[in-house]
Amino acid sequence: MDTGRLIRHLTEGSQPAPPLPQPWVRTAAWLALSAPYVALVVLAMSPRSDLVEKMGDARYVVEQVAALGTGIAAAIAAFASTIPGHSRKTLLLPVMPLALWLGSLGQGCVQSWIRYGADGLSLRSDWICFPTIALVGAVPAIAMALMLRRGAPLTPHLTAALGGLAAAGLGNFGLRFFHPEDASLMVLVWQLGTVFVLSTLAGWSGRYLLSWRSVVGVARRRAAIG
Amino acid sequence: MAQETRNDEHLAALMRAAQSGDGRAYARLLEQLVPRLRHIVRAQRQFLQAPDVEDVVQDVLLSLHAVRATYDPRRPFMPWLLAIVRHRLADAARRHARRAGDETQVGESLVTFSPHQPNMEPETHHDPEALRRAIQELPPGQREAIEMVKLRELSLKEAAAVSGTSIGALKVAVHRAIGTLRKALVKN
Repeated sequence: MDTGRLIRHLTEGSQPAPPLPQPWVRTAAWLALSAPYVALVVLAMSPRSDLVEKMGDARYVVEQVAALGTGIAAAIAAFASTIPGHSRKTLLLPVMPLALWLGSLGQGCVQSWIRYGADGLSLRSDWICFPTIALVGAVPAIAMALMLRRGAPLTPHLTAALGGLAAAGLGNFGLRFFHPEDASLMVLVWQLGTVFVLSTLAGWSGRYLLSWRSVVGVARRRAAIG
Repeated sequence: MAQETRNDEHLAALMRAAQSGDGRAYARLLEQLVPRLRHIVRAQRQFLQAPDVEDVVQDVLLSLHAVRATYDPRRPFMPWLLAIVRHRLADAARRHARRAGDETQVGESLVTFSPHQPNMEPETHHDPEALRRAIQELPPGQREAIEMVKLRELSLKEAAAVSGTSIGALKVAVHRAIGTLRKALVKN
């Protein structure tokens, strides 16, 4: 098609395309959509009986704040990564809360080892974490995918992995309100492990979820029809 | 430097107007961008032939159109545009490399002569101008399909990728286009 004709097709009767809100505003909107669902799942699964007591446990609070912080920071980074020309430094936002999360769990493992020796680091099977985190993170993940598709697919794998980390982080945050497992090594392996596996799977799916071909294909079809 | 800043402000103003639905400002913006884009693409991808350069420029225009809501009016315009160009150029280079990998250079080979004469009767159109007019009068979808598959000789897979339609839809469009052309030429 001739370039002049393409321009005519693209611009004739062009509709307004209001600028997308800032990444942090979009993150707030994503949280507003996701939080009621997470709360609903926590209520449906019935919160753990020692929840009030746990609120006074500094380690539990730090880990929950770090999980939520990782989810929020990853969401901001994911939205920023779909804006052409946006600073790359924003992509490093989740590093701090993730380091805090890992650090807290690592310190818990060391303390258990000092206190109980090798018995303090025993690892049991806790497969339920995987489907449960996936369940709690399902609606946040779908909302995230739909919102990310409104941006530019500049780095599909990285963007999708960050989106997955946001949803899985929020999923883990919800899980710990009803799943009574606090042994640091168990949380590290089964819960944080699940978060990483889900983020990796999301990153892998990035090329299918976010691609120039689908974005440009819509514009191309409209131009051809017009 | 001051000239560049003024240019950027001018383009940003057109983009803001385009985002609010001003089609004329949008057309002016895209028209002003085309020579710049051609220059950038030629400079960055010197191995591309002229039609390939035009393909990349069109790809960038379509990409810009598709993600125009991601432009933040408070930021400069050119860094936003250049980020899109950079990504589309990388995609074009990958496509080019893939296509080059699929092509096999074949040297001259000896030919054996068959006693059976092939059909040497060339198919001729007595009025190429009528054919050209008939192609121009095709519906847009059919015209694009015939241009890509029959005139530019893209494979169905490549043409489907370029047009964003399925191979099946493309086959149907080509088939219908040939039927329409046949009718138009017979009528003439």
